[in-house]
Amino acid sequence: MSIELTTADGHVTITNEVIATIAGGAAIECYGIVGMASKKQLRDGIAEILRKENFSRGVIVRQEGEAVHIDMYIIVSYGTKISEVAHNVQSQVKYNLEKTLGLKISSINIYIQGVRVIQD
Amino acid sequence: MTHNKIDAALFANMVITGATHLSNNADKIDALNVFPVPDGDTGTNMNLSITSGANEVKKANKDSVLEVANAFAKGLLMGARGNSGVILSQIFRGFAKGLEGKEELDIDSFVTALESGVNTAYKAVMKPVEGTILTVAKDTAHDAKEIAKQEEDIESFLEKVVQAAKKSLKRTPELLPVLKEVGVVDSGGQGLVVIYEGFLAGLKGEEVPQSHDETMDLDDLVNAEHHKLAQDYMSTDDIEFGYCTEFMVRFEDDKLSEHPYDEAKFREELSEHGDSLLVVSDDEIVKVHIHAEYPGDVFNLGQRFGSFINLKVENMREQHSKIVEPKQEKPKAKQPFGVVTVAMGTGLTELLKSLGATVVIQGGQTMNPSTQDIANAITEANAEQVIVLPNNKNIVMAAEQAAELAEVNVAVVPTKTIPQGMAAMLSYNPENSLAENQEAMAEASSHVKTGQITYAVRDTQIDGMTIENGHYMGLADGKIKVTDADQLTVIQSLLRELIDPEEDEIVTVISGQESSEEEEQAIIAFIETEFEDVEVEVHQGDQPIYSYIFSIE
Repeated sequence: MSIELTTADGHVTITNEVIATIAGGAAIECYGIVGMASKKQLRDGIAEILRKENFSRGVIVRQEGEAVHIDMYIIVSYGTKISEVAHNVQSQVKYNLEKTLGLKISSINIYIQGVRVIQD
Repeated sequence: MTHNKIDAALFANMVITGATHLSNNADKIDALNVFPVPDGDTGTNMNLSITSGANEVKKANKDSVLEVANAFAKGLLMGARGNSGVILSQIFRGFAKGLEGKEELDIDSFVTALESGVNTAYKAVMKPVEGTILTVAKDTAHDAKEIAKQEEDIESFLEKVVQAAKKSLKRTPELLPVLKEVGVVDSGGQGLVVIYEGFLAGLKGEEVPQSHDETMDLDDLVNAEHHKLAQDYMSTDDIEFGYCTEFMVRFEDDKLSEHPYDEAKFREELSEHGDSLLVVSDDEIVKVHIHAEYPGDVFNLGQRFGSFINLKVENMREQHSKIVEPKQEKPKAKQPFGVVTVAMGTGLTELLKSLGATVVIQGGQTMNPSTQDIANAITEANAEQVIVLPNNKNIVMAAEQAAELAEVNVAVVPTKTIPQGMAAMLSYNPENSLAENQEAMAEASSHVKTGQITYAVRDTQIDGMTIENGHYMGLADGKIKVTDADQLTVIQSLLRELIDPEEDEIVTVISGQESSEEEEQAIIAFIETEFEDVEVEVHQGDQPIYSYIFSIE
């Protein structure tokens, strides 16, 4: 699976891995996120925070015709306004992908997989 | 008067003043917003967040500073909007945690609370980005610890803390490349500085100034305004809910008996109508902020509970298209100098622009621009002072008239040919005054000799010469010198007439639309053999009518 862009000079192919990495990288800079989670967590029931090289397991890129949809599985910090953090992630990821890849993203769906309580 | 303690009521006043001060400056903070997403809403978001916090404080018990800080933190959390709002809520959540068991605030507990705020704020992010509000909070807490060692009076302490926050804000561009690129300080950091300034004013019992010129650098705002073009990434059509709608309703008992007020239910109803929803209510009033497509429907929902205190609707599509409007609609800053000149042909136009002309009017010879055309070009040059080069004796008059009409200082250098105009451009120096330029350019243009090759469109007699239709003519500085059926013959005679091998160093050939490669080669060969010490340069001018123009210096 990959995204094909056609320019006057030929084709550009962007693999989903690349999109996932950029989306994940943008997400972890978002305030209020303490980790990316694996999508499989729903099945495993183990909240594991992914390492950078595995971000793509928590970022699912789906294509439906021309439209690109992204599902992100994240873990947020306890005590933040979660709805707002999720919304910030959406706008930050959308902006970063559009800026770096020139990709219009149709939707970014956020799945909060966990809330991390940080001991003071 | 020295005092070293802040009681709950005073602290509440500080918080409320901080919020007011931020509200007064929200639009300026919006203008600075370039990171993480340049959507110009940081000030708005922080304002909504802190207003919610201040409202909680107004309602809170004020027996201890801890109660006030807790109320502030709770209000911030509930009303948190945007990245900056969430971070702000965390900073003050930590701040409140640091005041555990405190009835009053002294310098030491202030430092502890600031540090605790930074700790909490940094814990809620995986990869803190430095050069943001986080950095300003961290540096301020760090410096506050040092300041506390030297200060006993809490007012002077806070004054120095605010100074430290400002210093840290100034450093943000060094830490975050995008800020440096645009030439602004971080918008969230600026917001935090404004809040701290408000705290200080509240502590002193001063009114906060309506607008704020001290730390908000006008240059910053202008730079950010330019950068707003980055917001082009979002097109105005993408705005789903077009009106930023706000209102306040004062509850009325008779209406409430018919429609009991339930905040959660009301919020639920409103959320059907738009996004960015904020509902804040107490026993008397409900305040709503929503981005909706049909503000009227939203107002109707609110009016069921009482009467409006105030209403505000802004069309965000208008605002957004203003932000992303094309550059030419923005009044650009006037340049100190502009040059307006006249030429025909794309090559010549490019040539003159490369020499520094601001506006090249298409015209000359058979289509002379009018006074109005030149006046328009002077306006288009958008400069404090404009030099006009007519490059044709028939345009000099129009240029003089346009100069008199113009609202800016205009100097006409009466160049009669393209080569004279080019020579004038070569001695143009934007560093010098208008008068100096006018003199130098006139001087330079008087040293150049012009040769022009064209053909006759009818039989005629000029300057004592008989010219036949279709024959070529060679003009030296506007006077016909040679005519012949063969173009190369005309060119050779004309150049012999014009070039003084003792004096002249360079011949510039400007080829017209009707020139050809072979002709050019023949001309170059002729000049190089005939005048050994003279250099030849050829430029494509693409001018009509004159197949060749020669510039001799």
